Amino acid sequence: MIDYLAIQLAIINGDDTRTVKLVEGALEQNAKPADIVASGLQAGMIIVGDKFSSGEFFLPEILLAARAVTRALDVLRPQLSDWDAITRGRVVIGTVAGDIHDIGKNLVSMFLEGAGFEVIDLGTDVSAEQFVAAVKEHSPDIVGMSALLTTTMPSMEATIRALESAGIRHQVKVVVGGAPVTQHFADRIGADGYGADGGAAIELCRRLIGK
Amino acid sequence: MLMSHKARILATARKQAIDKLPFGARIDVWYNYHSSHGTLPEKYKDWNMVEILRDQGAGAQIRHMRIWKIEYDNLEVVIQEDPPYQITEWRTPVGSVRLKTVFRPEEGPWVAYEVDYPFKSREDYPVIEYIFENTRIVPDLSEYYRKEKMVGEDGMVMTGMDFYSPMQQIMRYWFGYERFFYELYDHLAQVERLYELQKEIAKKKLQILGKSPVEIPMLCGNWSDEIHTPVFAKYFVPWLREASDYLHSKGKLTQVHADGEMKRLIPFFLETGVDVAEAWTPVPMTSVTTGELRKAWGDKVTIWGGIPAVLFEPQYSDEEFDAYVINLFKEIAPGYNFIIGMGDNLPFDGRIERVGRVAELIDKYGSVPIEV
Repeated sequence: MIDYLAIQLAIINGDDTRTVKLVEGALEQNAKPADIVASGLQAGMIIVGDKFSSGEFFLPEILLAARAVTRALDVLRPQLSDWDAITRGRVVIGTVAGDIHDIGKNLVSMFLEGAGFEVIDLGTDVSAEQFVAAVKEHSPDIVGMSALLTTTMPSMEATIRALESAGIRHQVKVVVGGAPVTQHFADRIGADGYGADGGAAIELCRRLIGK
Repeated sequence: MLMSHKARILATARKQAIDKLPFGARIDVWYNYHSSHGTLPEKYKDWNMVEILRDQGAGAQIRHMRIWKIEYDNLEVVIQEDPPYQITEWRTPVGSVRLKTVFRPEEGPWVAYEVDYPFKSREDYPVIEYIFENTRIVPDLSEYYRKEKMVGEDGMVMTGMDFYSPMQQIMRYWFGYERFFYELYDHLAQVERLYELQKEIAKKKLQILGKSPVEIPMLCGNWSDEIHTPVFAKYFVPWLREASDYLHSKGKLTQVHADGEMKRLIPFFLETGVDVAEAWTPVPMTSVTTGELRKAWGDKVTIWGGIPAVLFEPQYSDEEFDAYVINLFKEIAPGYNFIIGMGDNLPFDGRIERVGRVAELIDKYGSVPIEV
């Protein structure tokens, strides 16, 4: 019997060596790679996200957990025949135009990838046009935008307007976050969701796409 | 009694009698943006920040990075400009590392931000150690004195230990947060060696500050509790206590720039010995109200801030703005140990007239003690 709880605990403890060892052991016991991803890795990362949102965990725990998941996925990926079947959804994420802060965006990316989302990270200083191009190229379920400066928050609204002008706004859910961003602001610019912290991103994205 | 803005700010920090709430306002994001874009209000074209704030009835906060120069021995520093980027390369006998920063004052910021960090792998430890061991700190107060003269009694020139405490220098400037925490977990001894070397550099800065006319040196800041709480007790508290004790022995007070999410850091703060928490940013930009902070710290810490930056934006009505500020006065009544200010700046789309509105509301409701 596969001990998925042990894999979850290894991830929660940020022990990448143990996580990889347990995943390799599970494969030797003929566990399905997709099951290991879902019941071990993603389940562990969701718990990590909950602990972050509740205030129990901090950035270091997230980084170490994400590293454990990444190293485990490196072992599993060659054996996963249908990656799309196990992903919860596709997210395009970026820090908006004029802003080079990436820690918030990176945190959210780690959470979402660990929880089974496919994340396409556009990086920092991403223009509205680049977001539009990315939506056309990758057909994501969600567009996530981060800003840490009040001067760059208007780029979030500009991006939403650009998606509307391109006729593709209805294809995606738009979520926003970052230190100066508030629910008030998100509502005003017509975003579909606001993430107060990285840990909330998993539940928010799952809710928005119904998975 | 008629007090200048500076006198009122200093008296509050020193727990002396004041007539009304002091107001030390910061507008450099707004000013840098609009002066670069040619969109300053017609009246304020060609005015500097102190003049604008004087016109609005507010005390001025003017930022100054440092009162020293950093020099190096036995290594070469090569700076390459590729606007808006700058690449700094330290070339030592044991290897080289590079830092890439971006500086866009036309968008508001007054300083450069790191975009790529010197530390990449374990091979860089001896290089960075060498750099720290060969760093010299040399006093340089000429620009500070110029700003002091410009501000006069209308506010404060805010300067101190650069942005970062010793461990924060490593976290933020040399490694970046992500690489830092991996290294702290994987190679603790080597990170702590760098921390010890940074403390020695920081002590040289403290000595210069101790002899300087700076009344309330800034020790560090830009904390956020999800990042800094795990390292705060072990690496921040002892250093801040040591620095505060030293500067107190020189007749000074100390402050930190407390503009981030502070909820889980609040319990540690009183152990630091720091006197002033500047740029305090409450709800809705963080999860803590000013009332909660006041209750946690009592009168032991002077709080400077209280009006979150977003309140100055047009998304909030004038009525909402007034209501927030008046409620702030109620939260801090009777009003001792509190300096009104922004958390932490006037945003580029903030309304400058709301700065004057704060001054008006202080005149109307902010006599100390405040009667609710």
